[in-house]
Amino acid sequence: MSDNGKNLVVIPIGPQHPSLDEPGCFTITLEGEKVVNAIIGVGYNHRGLEKACESRNYYQDLYIIERVCGICSHTHSTAFCMAVEELAGLTVPPRAEYIRVIVAELERLHSHLLWLGIACHEIGYDTMFMYTWRNREKVLDILAAIGGNRVNYGVNTFGGVRRDFDGTISSAILKTADALEDEIKHYLDIATTETTLMSRLVGIGRLSREDVIKFGAVGPVARAAGIMDDIRVVEPYGAYKEIEVHAVTDTRADVYGRTVVRILEMLESLNIIRYCIKNLPDGIIAVKAPRRVPAGEAIIRVEAPRGEDIHYVRANGTDMPDRVRVRAPSEANWHGMKHMLEGGYLADVPITIAAIDPCYSCTDRAVVIRSGNDTEIMDWMGLREYSINWYKKQGVDISALKL
Amino acid sequence: MNREEEIVSTLCTEFPFLHERISIQKAKRIFTNVLRKDEFEQVIRFVHDEMGFWRAHEVIGTDDGENIGLLYLVSGAENIILILRTSVPKTNPVVKSISDMYLSIVLHERELVDLFGVVVEELPDGPSYPLPDGWPKGNFPLRKEWNPEYLNKAAMTYEPPSEKEAKV
Repeated sequence: MSDNGKNLVVIPIGPQHPSLDEPGCFTITLEGEKVVNAIIGVGYNHRGLEKACESRNYYQDLYIIERVCGICSHTHSTAFCMAVEELAGLTVPPRAEYIRVIVAELERLHSHLLWLGIACHEIGYDTMFMYTWRNREKVLDILAAIGGNRVNYGVNTFGGVRRDFDGTISSAILKTADALEDEIKHYLDIATTETTLMSRLVGIGRLSREDVIKFGAVGPVARAAGIMDDIRVVEPYGAYKEIEVHAVTDTRADVYGRTVVRILEMLESLNIIRYCIKNLPDGIIAVKAPRRVPAGEAIIRVEAPRGEDIHYVRANGTDMPDRVRVRAPSEANWHGMKHMLEGGYLADVPITIAAIDPCYSCTDRAVVIRSGNDTEIMDWMGLREYSINWYKKQGVDISALKL
Repeated sequence: MNREEEIVSTLCTEFPFLHERISIQKAKRIFTNVLRKDEFEQVIRFVHDEMGFWRAHEVIGTDDGENIGLLYLVSGAENIILILRTSVPKTNPVVKSISDMYLSIVLHERELVDLFGVVVEELPDGPSYPLPDGWPKGNFPLRKEWNPEYLNKAAMTYEPPSEKEAKV
C-alpha cells in the first residue's frame, strides 16, 4: 500500500490473535515499525444480555448481570442490586454493605493481579506473570470459600447479600491479606527499580490528562493521568460512605503509570478489607425484597477494577424491568485507544491494548448468532446436555438435577 | 443552595423552557423531561461549552412505544450527572451526533444505530457496533417488537410468524 510515496503496511491484529485474550480486531497501518493509523473493531462478544433482561424477572436478571463479566462480576451485580434497591426503597443492612465491600475489594485484588500478570506476559516477562497469577489463586480460593465459585460468586441479592462471614472466613482473609501485602510490595519494588520492565513501559501508550478529558477514559487509565475519578471517593456508595478510601493517582499518563496505579490500588484494597473485617457490623445480612418493583428509573455507578461502571434500570411496576443498560468501564476506554497506539511501535501494540485492561465481554455485553455450515450452534438445553455428558465422562452424573 | 440547585438555576435562567422540566432526582443526579430536538441541542452545547460538563458517560436508548427515548449522561469535575432526555419518532428516528463535542460518545451512538435503528447524522466513519456482519437489515433488537425467537440463526434471517405464513 502506498500513500504519498510512503510504503505503508496494514496488519490486522485479531479477532483471534495470540496477544489478545478475547476477540477484538485492531487494523494497524504501519510505516516501517511505526503505527500511523489504527482502527478499533469490537463487538465480537455481543450476547444480547440487555434484551434478555427485559423478558425475565429481576431475580433471573441478577444471574445474567453477574455474567456480564467474569472478572468484575460482583461489581455488576452490586450496581444492578443498588438500582433495584433504590427503586424498591430498600435499605440494605450495614453488615451486608460491609460484606459487599470486602468481596468487591477481593475482586479488585484478583483483577489487578490478573492484569499485572497479563501485562508482564505481553512484554515477555513471564516470571512475573507466574508469580502474580500464583498470588491471584490465593484470592480466588478465598472468593470460592465465600461464594462457592472462583468467579460469579453469587454474593449479592436484592436487599443485601446471600453469604455471611464467620470467624473462619474472616481469619482466612486476614491471613491471605498479610501474605499478599508482602508480595505486592515486592512487585512495587520491582516495578520501580527493574530497568527492563521500566524500559518497556515508560512513555508507551500515552494518554495525557487533556486526552483523558477528550476521550472520556476512566479508571486507572484516567488516574494514571492525574484525574481522580474513583467512584468510591467522588460518589461514595454502600459502606464506602463510612470507609476512608485513599484514591491513587499518577502523572506519568503512560502504561507505566497505569501499572503503578494498579499496584498501589491493591495495597489500598488490603487496607479496606482489613478495616471492614475489623469493623464488620453485627446483624442481619438481607431484607426482604418485593418481586414487583415500583415504576421509576435509577442510574447507579460503582467503581469496578477497570473504572466507572454505570447501570441504568427502568422499572414499569411489574416483576420484569422495562430496560436495563450496562455501561462498563472498558466501553469508555476504547475511545482513546487509537490515540494511544498511533505514533508508537508495532511491538508495543499488545501491551498498549492490555494496559487499559480491556474486557471485551463487558464492552459488548449483550446469544452467539454468527454461524457457518461447520458451526454447531447450541441452545441452552443443548449446552446443558453437553455439560451433563462432559461430567459423566469425568465420573460425575448430574443428570438427575432438575432445572 | 447546593451545587445541584445552582446548576438547575443556571440552566433555567439561560433556557426558560426548562422551567418545571428539570429536576434533581437525588444528590448528583439531575434529570430533564423530554426536550425537543432543537432544545436538546442548545442545552447540551451550552453545558459542554459554558458549564464544564466535559465527560459524556453514555447515551441510553429506550423503546417508548411510538418513539425512541434518548438519555444523554454528561458530567464535569464536580461529578454531578446531568441526564438530558430527548426523543425521536420510530417512523423518522433521526438525531444529530454529539461526537463533535464528546468523542467518547461514538461507540454508544453506534449502538443506537445497530440496536434501535436510530439514524445518527454526522457520526464519524468506522466499523459498525455491536451487531455482526450479515445481520438482517431492518432488525433492531432492542425495539420491543423485535423477538429473538424469530431469528433464524443459521440463515441469519428474521422470520416472524406472519411472514412465514405469507410464504406458505
